[in-house]
Amino acid sequence: MALLYSVLRCVRSHITQVHLRSVHTTSPHHLAAEKSLLLQLRKSTGYTFANCKKALEKFDNDVKQAESWLHEQAQKEGWSKAVRLEGRRTKEGLIGHLIEDRAAVMVEVNCETDFVARNEKFHSLVRDVAFATMAHHRSRTGSRSTYIKSLLSTDDLSKLTVPGGASLADRLALAVGRLGENIALRRAVVLGVPAEWNIGSYVHGALPGQTDVAMGRYGALVVFQSVRGEAETLGRKLGQHIVGEAPLSLGNMDDLSCGDTETRLLPQSFLADPSKTVAQYLSEQGARVLDFVRFQRGEGGHDTEE
Amino acid sequence: MAALMGLRSCLSSALQLSTSWLLVHKSYRLCAVPLAQRGFAAEAKKVFVRDKPHVNIGTIGHVDHGKTTLTAAITKVLADAGGTRYKKYEDIDNAPEEKARGITINASHVEYVTPNRHYSHTDCPGHADYVKNMITGTAQLDGCILVVAATDGQMPQTREHLLLARQIGVEHVVVFINKADAVEDPEMLDLVEMEIRELLTEFGYDGENTPVVTGSALCALENRNPEMGAKAVLKLLEVVDNYVPLPKRELDKPFLMPIETVHSIPGRGTVVTGTLERGVIKKGDECEFVGHSRSFKSVVTGIEMFHQSLERAEAGDNMGALVRGLKRDDVRRGMVMSKPGSIKPHQKVKAQVYVLSKEEGGRHKPFMTNFMPVMFSLTWDMACRIILPGDKEMIMPGEDASLILTLRQPMVLEKGQRFTLRDGNRTIGTGLVTEILPITEEDQVNWG
Repeated sequence: MALLYSVLRCVRSHITQVHLRSVHTTSPHHLAAEKSLLLQLRKSTGYTFANCKKALEKFDNDVKQAESWLHEQAQKEGWSKAVRLEGRRTKEGLIGHLIEDRAAVMVEVNCETDFVARNEKFHSLVRDVAFATMAHHRSRTGSRSTYIKSLLSTDDLSKLTVPGGASLADRLALAVGRLGENIALRRAVVLGVPAEWNIGSYVHGALPGQTDVAMGRYGALVVFQSVRGEAETLGRKLGQHIVGEAPLSLGNMDDLSCGDTETRLLPQSFLADPSKTVAQYLSEQGARVLDFVRFQRGEGGHDTEE
Repeated sequence: MAALMGLRSCLSSALQLSTSWLLVHKSYRLCAVPLAQRGFAAEAKKVFVRDKPHVNIGTIGHVDHGKTTLTAAITKVLADAGGTRYKKYEDIDNAPEEKARGITINASHVEYVTPNRHYSHTDCPGHADYVKNMITGTAQLDGCILVVAATDGQMPQTREHLLLARQIGVEHVVVFINKADAVEDPEMLDLVEMEIRELLTEFGYDGENTPVVTGSALCALENRNPEMGAKAVLKLLEVVDNYVPLPKRELDKPFLMPIETVHSIPGRGTVVTGTLERGVIKKGDECEFVGHSRSFKSVVTGIEMFHQSLERAEAGDNMGALVRGLKRDDVRRGMVMSKPGSIKPHQKVKAQVYVLSKEEGGRHKPFMTNFMPVMFSLTWDMACRIILPGDKEMIMPGEDASLILTLRQPMVLEKGQRFTLRDGNRTIGTGLVTEILPITEEDQVNWG
């Protein structure tokens, strides 16, 4: 595939050269018009000058056709770039949260530098991954209302499709082509809960301006039951505690704390009120934690080359 | 570098052995050092000659746009001209870990010498590393080379690169359009240049007048196409020499000496000692003592270093000053002696702070607003209260953040001053003052 593609590209660039020369000799005026179109096309699509130029030449300055050709081209180039960059280490990136009615998704997408992690193109990829995972969950569970917790690996994620058609693998390749860095769909977790349960969430270092999908460096989802109101605030506080104290297991309500090194959630001292343990705080609130998941950007994962 | 430091401490402690009414107590601490470090002097190391002004410069740009190739090419071209050591591409480690103030930073440093200046060239892989670099002050960048490949043009994340440059206070950016040899159509280069100028302007730089140099670092490395290669690299260096101004030298600033100890010498008066942080101080200069809620003026009547009296002391000198009419109880450690009116005590500041990760010896827990560590800066320490910015609820170890710190009492603080934060017996963070804030009534309440 890649070979075929590079052959094609060779042929194409040969053709454009010939074409270009004829443009140069015949009408310099024509070229000036092309330059402003070129700038316009580059600005609106963000593809490289070289490709924008190729596109304009191919379709005789028809911006619309050029643009659609560029999108097609970008997909192919993305794939070849993704293959080339595969294996480069990705330890930056973002955790994304999507919370809907009785379901929550937490995803991790990695890239090479934190510059890219701050770029909006990367953010929209994270959003795509979150929505695709949610759509997958909805289609699989339908209206069932039992507790569901499923973890998705890199391979599982690549097979999902964004609502609207494209596969996540395609979207990923496109982003790699645009941003020029290796990007990996690291993992995702989906939670679905019955009607009387709640899901609390906290994203740490959340980027401003992300309304539907919150993104940051750490994320936690916590499944709990609460008899009194204010479930959202409670869920957020619990999520914050889980991000901050990084518990590894749930523990029991009557466990005794073993101090600063405690890794069970319930006997840990509560971050928002260190005078109490989490268990004490929960019983005061008439709440019960059933499960939790914590993601830290770049932790563990499949970085085999390290 | 370490060898130089070793040499310096050897020398100074040797001098101090024959010391001095000032620094006797110090020589004990230092005299153990030279034995262990004597080995350094025996090594045949190149001696650093300080005959040119020093400038720190950095590169920013996309990972594949040739920053390291450019750095290698610069050293090669300058090595051919003499004075610089050629560092091959393979020899420039892309992200070695270094420790500064206990903080791990990924940064590679390369030095080179142009006809006019000595440069230290820093490259970091990520935003966070540049910010740590700024906070710890390991190599405060005086200017920056933005590297853009002609083949790709600017990338979406070039915006983030320029945002960073703004954030860390880089005022002078020079653009190098790399890989120009891989582009067939020269018009393309113009377009790339036009676009990058536009972007620079968008981020508040002088896009129109920013120098843009086009070339190919690879050509320079491979000794081909000198127009694009060696000549372009030399042009870039010339442009950097001319466009990035020299940083203000510490010597040119108003003098400041944080007070370490106070001695009364019978028959002579009171002497304050410390290391002159910046500026030059001369006998007969007016001075002002500030800090610990006190402030008064006097005159320096004598300066001594190593038991010898001198006319003037410069930044970096470990000195003692005899001050007219000073009583032993008038001053104490933590105050500063400065040029009158040059510095003031403040109680509330905004600062960019890096919080040490657990691996770096910091806390393993996050902290929330109203956390109260102790702030150490110059020779003073003072309890302070941290207020998190509105959009943050807690700070995790290993993060940097802009924080508001309120001191229990006003202390000498100014924009650009560095400090560390300690909690109990561990250093938990280090920071850089970015803004002085007025104190309000509610800041005063409840220090517990």
